[in-house]
Amino acid sequence: MITGDDELGFSDGRAVVRMPAEIDVTNAYEVSQRLRAAARRGPSVLIIDMSTTTFCDSAGVQAIIDAYNQAEVRNQSAVTRTQLRLVANAVLRIITLVGIDQLIPVYPTVEAALADPASGPAGSMGE
Amino acid sequence: MQVGGAAAAAPGSRAALEDKLRDIQSITDAALSRFGDQELLTELLERTRAVLQADTAAVLLLDYGSGHLIATAAAGLEEEVRQGVRIPVGRGFAGRIAAEHKPVILDRVDHSTVLNPILLAKGIRALMGVPLIAGGKVIGVLHVGSLTQRQFTSEDVELLELAADRAAAALASLTAQENRVAAEALQRSLLPSVLPADVPADMAVRYVPGAGKVGGDWYDVFCVPSGHLWLVIGDVTGSGLAAAVIMGRMRSALRAYALETNDPAEALARLDRKMQHFEPGALATVLCAVFEPGLDRVRICSAGHLPPVIASPGHAAEVAEVPSGLLIGASPGARRRVMTLETTPGSLFCFYTDGLVERRGELIDDGLARLCQVVTAESPEVACAAVMAALVGSRAARDDIALLMIRFRPADSQP
Repeated sequence: MITGDDELGFSDGRAVVRMPAEIDVTNAYEVSQRLRAAARRGPSVLIIDMSTTTFCDSAGVQAIIDAYNQAEVRNQSAVTRTQLRLVANAVLRIITLVGIDQLIPVYPTVEAALADPASGPAGSMGE
Repeated sequence: MQVGGAAAAAPGSRAALEDKLRDIQSITDAALSRFGDQELLTELLERTRAVLQADTAAVLLLDYGSGHLIATAAAGLEEEVRQGVRIPVGRGFAGRIAAEHKPVILDRVDHSTVLNPILLAKGIRALMGVPLIAGGKVIGVLHVGSLTQRQFTSEDVELLELAADRAAAALASLTAQENRVAAEALQRSLLPSVLPADVPADMAVRYVPGAGKVGGDWYDVFCVPSGHLWLVIGDVTGSGLAAAVIMGRMRSALRAYALETNDPAEALARLDRKMQHFEPGALATVLCAVFEPGLDRVRICSAGHLPPVIASPGHAAEVAEVPSGLLIGASPGARRRVMTLETTPGSLFCFYTDGLVERRGELIDDGLARLCQVVTAESPEVACAAVMAALVGSRAARDDIALLMIRFRPADSQP
């Protein structure tokens, strides 16, 4: 369905999934499925690219939280851990308001997200 | 089923079938407008039984929570409903129909083929059942039975499927209607519209369901025995009855925690643990503001919720710089930070949900700025009206909007 699509870049164990311009209840399920499909391939870094997203309501927030929780579960048993990273501009305010930045590191551009050397586990919360 | 095969039927029987179809269609359509839920089902079952010359007819509805089919209406088999028969999906005759999503005909009725002892005790010899499908999902099962040995035919199945279509459509719309009414009643019953007596403040509220559908927005205002005043506002992801039910549980839980702690961060941490354990998958933004007994200081903690806007007399309104916190239900062990504020007499606090300030194609900060321009430290009723007029106007809300304003009376105006 989305494999081979230009919306999903995949190289070098690092995947980029580009999010739609608007995420709401009408497409949040599809967004979830795309993130799930990308994560299933076991990338070391999975970048949720919201750089061109201008609207994200609570259904979109839920899709991202779901992706995080699925990665956490998989990371407990998988050989290679997947670290989620997120790129946001227009929706940065929402992402930080709901505290997603406490779970997933947020970057201004995909390049910055790719360039960051693999850090520790995303959003280790007790710090 | 095999409609192609019907072409081989004799013209006479084809015409007879069309008569039967018309029978069923007319009953159900008329019944839809005239009858309530239970009456409609009973009427439909009576006519289905007559048209198919069967002795019994019954509808079992699927309860998603338990995964059981529950006897809901019956003709000639009333004891099924009266005894509250429940059949697990996947087991017995009806359970098999629901699990396989397709018609089942039984010409041998015994312990090996049916689960429900009433069918055996009744002496039913042959059974035919079809799934009730609405919106692509199985919502129940319709079956008819014969007290004499009989072979139900594929034409019989087609007739029963037609009756099932009509019944499912009617049931789905009635269920949706019931859920909406229940959600609205629940929501209304949970939203207080007056302040606790003897709090020297005035309050005004607005609640507008989004796109005609009640969602999970809520607010709460209460005092605890220590004299602290709690203001809570929140938004459960999703809408309809499911969201309203979760909202009700969160509201009760927070009230209980507020009896045990005056720390909003601690109450939210407990709420988060409770939700993650008992309502896994549910997400909500919640903000708690706890005013000290003298009302001169407030502690605010946000779990992913938009911060309040505060207007002091003679000053422009500002968005309170409440530290952000992870929304409830997302992940264990979130860090919760509290903002403490001294309050000024006569100042107005405006709490709201995202439906008020979020617009497609603009930054949320623009919506917040617009809100700040309108909010002034006047009477909450006047301020609420002004905010709704400026930010909503005549536009139908897509998302729920909850708005709560409270203004503390200056010391000299206390009653």
